[in-house]
Amino acid sequence: MIMLFSNILLISLGVNIAISIYGIVSKPNMVKKLIAITILSDTVNVIAIVIGYRLANPPIPPIHALNDDYRVFITRVVDPIPQALVLTAIVIGLALIIFLVFLTLRIFRVFGSVNLHEVLETMYKELPTEVHLYEEEPSD
Amino acid sequence: MSLLALLSVIATYLAITERDLLKAVIFSALQSISYVFIFYLLMAPDIVLVYIPIALGIYPALLLFLIKKTGRYERK
Repeated sequence: MIMLFSNILLISLGVNIAISIYGIVSKPNMVKKLIAITILSDTVNVIAIVIGYRLANPPIPPIHALNDDYRVFITRVVDPIPQALVLTAIVIGLALIIFLVFLTLRIFRVFGSVNLHEVLETMYKELPTEVHLYEEEPSD
Repeated sequence: MSLLALLSVIATYLAITERDLLKAVIFSALQSISYVFIFYLLMAPDIVLVYIPIALGIYPALLLFLIKKTGRYERK
């Protein structure tokens, strides 16, 4: 029964990853891409926590078993290392999302749209046919 | 826990396919609520304490700020 529930949990997380990658790839709106990126990172964090849970492989905490209390603690503890990694990953993901939000705002102010099709149309329309990156030296 | 995972699948699908971006942000917050309970049931209360203000407070606030600046409805 527990294995059935954990299988449902893992399959649901896989479906979540699939839906969010579909959203990142196929939706042209950048705000929708941002929502899909947040869902993707959160789902990967949940998968890391599920791997660290004691259902699949019981963890070995960095504690010496001195007496019976510690032994009881070791039989019930979960792995702390994925939790520390996920705690760091959540904060780094927050910084990444803030950077992407202000990048999107900058794109909206330059091109007047957050739809990537319209942004590309505006770019191709306003670019000249020949792009000179540097001023040519006057030949004498 | 499996029911919460199924709820998160439904909320993710609605958040991706919704054309009104405000409703999409609300559905992604619903998905974050189900992840909060999954974290709590997997014995990670410290991650719950960090995840609640970030995923339910700062992410929707940032996305609502962006939607207010850029426009509410997603064009096809």
